[in-house]
Amino acid sequence: MTGLTGNAAIVGAAQYKPEKYQTAPQMFHLEQVADLAARALADAGLEASALDGLVINGPHFHEASVFVPAMAAEYLGINVNFAEVVDLGGCTPVGMVWRAAAAIEMGLCEAVLCVLPARMAPFGPDEDPSWMAKAMRYGGHSTAFGAPEAEFDLPYGHMGQNTGYAMIAQRYAARYGYDPRAMAKIAADQRTNAQFNPQAIFHGQPLSVDDVLASKLVADPLRVLEIVMPVAGGAAVIVTSKEVAARTRNRPAFIKGFGERLAFKSPSYAQEMTETPIGPAARKAFAMAGVKPSDMDAAQLYDCYTITVLLTLEDAGFCPKGEGMAFVREHDLTWRGDFPLNTHGGQLSFGQAAAAGGMSQVIEAFTQIAGRAEDRQLKRCDQVFVSGTGGVMSEQGALILQGS
Amino acid sequence: MAMQKPLPIATDISRPFWDGLKQGKIQLPRCDDCQTWVFYPRRHCTHCFSHQLSWQEVSGQGTLYSYTLARIPTMPEFADEAPQAMAVVELDEGVRLNTTLVGLAEDEIEVGMTLAPVFAKVNAKGDTLLRFTAPNRETTRDETPSLEAGVDGKKQVPFDDGPALASLVTGKFGDWSNELTIDQELVNRFAELSGDDYWLHTDPERAKRESPYGTTIAHGALVQILQSRLKIPLDFELTGFSTMVNYGSDRLRFPAPVPVGSKVHARARVKDAEPTRKGTQVTLEVHTHVVGQERPSVINDLVILYR
Repeated sequence: MTGLTGNAAIVGAAQYKPEKYQTAPQMFHLEQVADLAARALADAGLEASALDGLVINGPHFHEASVFVPAMAAEYLGINVNFAEVVDLGGCTPVGMVWRAAAAIEMGLCEAVLCVLPARMAPFGPDEDPSWMAKAMRYGGHSTAFGAPEAEFDLPYGHMGQNTGYAMIAQRYAARYGYDPRAMAKIAADQRTNAQFNPQAIFHGQPLSVDDVLASKLVADPLRVLEIVMPVAGGAAVIVTSKEVAARTRNRPAFIKGFGERLAFKSPSYAQEMTETPIGPAARKAFAMAGVKPSDMDAAQLYDCYTITVLLTLEDAGFCPKGEGMAFVREHDLTWRGDFPLNTHGGQLSFGQAAAAGGMSQVIEAFTQIAGRAEDRQLKRCDQVFVSGTGGVMSEQGALILQGS
Repeated sequence: MAMQKPLPIATDISRPFWDGLKQGKIQLPRCDDCQTWVFYPRRHCTHCFSHQLSWQEVSGQGTLYSYTLARIPTMPEFADEAPQAMAVVELDEGVRLNTTLVGLAEDEIEVGMTLAPVFAKVNAKGDTLLRFTAPNRETTRDETPSLEAGVDGKKQVPFDDGPALASLVTGKFGDWSNELTIDQELVNRFAELSGDDYWLHTDPERAKRESPYGTTIAHGALVQILQSRLKIPLDFELTGFSTMVNYGSDRLRFPAPVPVGSKVHARARVKDAEPTRKGTQVTLEVHTHVVGQERPSVINDLVILYR
């Protein structure tokens, strides 16, 4: 089949420690781009002049809504042969990495900065912050005249992610059954991992299955501790050719396979809402890399909610459809366990810095492959599956990363 | 104060759908070429991309594809529906729509259950939303917040409508609020917070001996701010503003003490309401009384600014 030959690799990364918005430093997004770029280059041991590609977020970029890559390249002081904006919500980081790898394999460029600033920018002296309250009020929902969701969802109160994911979970329960303890165990096992990651926002705060089950019901059957916490942050990785990777200082994580799938914005219009887009995306990624789920040493699965993890385990092929709850019960999902999952704590315990949240999974895969995960380092980590999820399970992507 | 729920704004593409609902009819576009039903309305068939579509009436019978009960309002203005019964309904024609369930107890709701449409009129213009319930129950609902008696019997007044505002001014106080007990613990916490720990408020032993009231009394300022915990009934609701701020007080008096351990309640009247250059200023005269006492313990001419 066609696809990547696997000659592009992640060689460096930078990630702000997740912080509460109220106490996090405020920085212009351009400044964050430059800061994260410098840190990621230093991590790789590369010089700024090596960069010749840029992949950046378009939506929510503070200083511009159009011409974002040109403005960022100019601000950084680099010229690029490849510039791309990725608009895939939580799947943006996974989408960035494979686009960078594809551009490199096509010979367009050799070293691509993939960057997602997610700290707040300072307010202008006369700026009325109410625009932000208004923007946050409808979240990812468009209120534009003619937008289907403005016309057919908002008048009924259908808004935000919680109820969408809850309805997917409720339908799953009706089709396959539901074990709240197994769902809570996903959050608890990931929290255990966070106890070995000083960068995680919930480091130092262990969590039991009973704690999760005792937490507030937000939208049946989802409880508040099964839902990710928004934080300020930001992340970047550098993807390079094999040749450039050879002169970097870490063990690179080669991008061997990827897949991507979008079919709807509201899962109500999915063919079947409990069969998620990660299915086709993961099958493509595994086939491209010539490996199978059981070959993976770890899985870094996008986890905005526990139900996202459960459905990704099933649909990406780690267990048969409908058996996810049993799989979770039967496996130790911690970094010490027989199925290491979200070894950094996952976003549920690490924190979700907007679209940069999914980069935490990419960076954890790279960190484990490079053998630099310190207290939570897996004994053997050569192959990792990474997933990304945007919207309400509406856009998903998969990566297979491999150590050399 | 309630904000307005978003309303659908019909487009040239969707208008027959919304117009149909107003007449108690559900009409959907259907492809003339491949017979596929299309929802939400579009000008093309999502199966074959043909642009030959025609509107056809359907029964609205369907099944519950999935649902959730939102325990935390998805938007503040939906708080009155809590828990919101959010649903995806699959019509017999195979299309799905996002909607809400009405008239069902929580334990009646089940994925796969049969549902029938409810035409819910949401305003005086006749705008109608399509909700669902179990078969053989209500088929229409009037959710219109009318000027005289809306869903909760409140008069709706646009915040910038001068004459309507003037009509709110009255010499007559409204009904009493809920009652709240002011105990020593609450007073102690306020003493700590404010730094006003005068023995008359915080030392029950000494107060027993030396206080003219034979007990400790609450700080006037405490009783004043506890108005936030009293739900004071007002028979109107301002609409259309984007922010509402407490602008301060024109008059604040503490005419009678509140002995610790008493229950208080409050009532209010509109003393003044007028649009100004800064926004609409509404002055509420709020009286807080110890339950059963004629004389108010707090008189507060509270000024609220709506913009």
